[in-house]
Amino acid sequence: MKRGLAISGAILGLLLCGLFLAGCGESRQSYAGSYRSVEPYAGKGHVDLELKDNGEATWSLAKEGIAIKFKWRVESDHIWLYNKEGGILHAIPSEGGKKLMVDLTGQWNPSCPTEHCLLFERVKAGGS
Amino acid sequence: MTESENQVDKLKLEQVGKEVRISAGAQVVKQGELPKHFYVVLSGKLKVYRETLDGIRTDLTVLGPGAYFGEVAIVTGKPRSASVEAVEESTVLAIGKDEFDLVLDQNPKLARQIIYGLSQWLVEGDKRLEQETVHQVKMRRISWFDYVLILGLSLILALVFNLYNDNQIPLIHSEGDLAGVEVIPLKQAVDLYQKKGAVFVDARKANFFEQDHIKGAINLPLVFFDLQYPMFQFMLEQDKVPKDEPLIIYGGSTSRRFDLELARLLKDKDYKVMVLGSDYGAWQQAFPLEGHPKKEVHAMPLGIGGYIEWLPVSIFLLILIPPVRRSPYLSAFCRLLLGVIFVQFALSKIMRPAVFAMNVVDYGMMPAWAVNLWALALPWGELLAGLFLILGIRTRAAATIIGGMNIIFIIGLVKVILQGLPITCGCVGEAGEPVTWWKVLKNTGMLVMALQVFFYDKLFVLDRGGFIWREKKI
Repeated sequence: MKRGLAISGAILGLLLCGLFLAGCGESRQSYAGSYRSVEPYAGKGHVDLELKDNGEATWSLAKEGIAIKFKWRVESDHIWLYNKEGGILHAIPSEGGKKLMVDLTGQWNPSCPTEHCLLFERVKAGGS
Repeated sequence: MTESENQVDKLKLEQVGKEVRISAGAQVVKQGELPKHFYVVLSGKLKVYRETLDGIRTDLTVLGPGAYFGEVAIVTGKPRSASVEAVEESTVLAIGKDEFDLVLDQNPKLARQIIYGLSQWLVEGDKRLEQETVHQVKMRRISWFDYVLILGLSLILALVFNLYNDNQIPLIHSEGDLAGVEVIPLKQAVDLYQKKGAVFVDARKANFFEQDHIKGAINLPLVFFDLQYPMFQFMLEQDKVPKDEPLIIYGGSTSRRFDLELARLLKDKDYKVMVLGSDYGAWQQAFPLEGHPKKEVHAMPLGIGGYIEWLPVSIFLLILIPPVRRSPYLSAFCRLLLGVIFVQFALSKIMRPAVFAMNVVDYGMMPAWAVNLWALALPWGELLAGLFLILGIRTRAAATIIGGMNIIFIIGLVKVILQGLPITCGCVGEAGEPVTWWKVLKNTGMLVMALQVFFYDKLFVLDRGGFIWREKKI
């Protein structure tokens, strides 16, 4: 009985660790930093995207006074940006994280669809 | 087989039989074979056990010096009722049947002791049988408490976790204040469309919009409102749409989450906003449409998780073999596999309930008020039921709940396929996997596994009476 409980407890512990680790994803370090869109967005200026080390991200369109909060993580060399409404944006980094192609459809696509793709370039590495 | 101290001396058996040395692990008698000898343990330690045809072993007792065994079969002439093997190097006195009968004829005291031993064995056997019957009844019993325990605990954990989760969502979603949003009947909306007197705005996700939408409509998905509103404004500016021209929002499903909330958000931006009325779902029949109905839905490869999900399909083949179908070892395997799959399902959803809530809305089966509650509670139900299966706690109730979930999933998947909805499964992983008949088959496999566990599970179970590890002595 005691051995059974110990085994059960150990399995439970491992699974709870798994639960904790599942939310962490891969290391964000290599992609953290400040990015700016290469082209203006919707004729309203450039978009600034800041990816912080702590998993928070901000999408700003200064001209419109818009600053949207996201959470972000890295999985399989894709960046996943989550907004509070439950939407997910996928970003594909290239050149070691110097460039980001953000897929604005909110769907998972193997590559960023041209007409809904916003290209960003890193202006500052690292995030606070 | 009863241990009786100093029996060897009293019975004066030294004139008969022959000493046999048995090395550790060697079998002295085998269950089912015809008896030839009666044995008295002279030194060492021997284990008596029974084994069923499907390999379930029950340890009965351990015998030391002075004990004897093999009398039941030698007296009845029936095959051995149990096996005996040496735990350590031992010596036994092996007495043939003729010699045994001779000793009994000449030694009434020994005969009485053998009869006493057999009677004791029968009484103990009855007690063991009763204990086992009670245990089996308890184990098969299923009570409402088991379901209340799993479902109640899931709900409590979901609510508590949501309180402290960074990605918290409201328990019941509200569209906010809809005062000032005009409801327009479908016919009137069609009239406005024909007169080009309104801009039609599709509130659904891009994949739904791409599949089909009212010709000329603009897509502003609710989930990306903040992000895409500047582009929406830009498009209205490009089309020179006057600010007072009405915007007619459509895209309501069972939950009506998208169209009503988008209407409120645009109203807050000072647009003249209307939503389709009671026949909001009939726009596909009333308006000219455009889009790509056969557009493929991309899904991210799931890796190992995707392969594990194929195992339930192979269980089908095993289920076809009757002895295997009833095997408690298959139940233990099914429990472990189902448990791992459902824990994996749960872990992919628990941290970000808003994402899962959007998946729930996509299926169009849940009213708006229930979406968030379902999105919060279901992953915890999957996690607890999965853990209960792995750990062997209330396994029949856990299997019923997992079976029930699978039925709901199968209904949802079939609905998506039949209606051609452009969505991914959302079952595991946030990018999901394509909804196909293969996915339905995988879920059916899991349903069959849950049924197998419900009917035949009895190994490694932490039950009301304690942990039952069938390899151990009962």
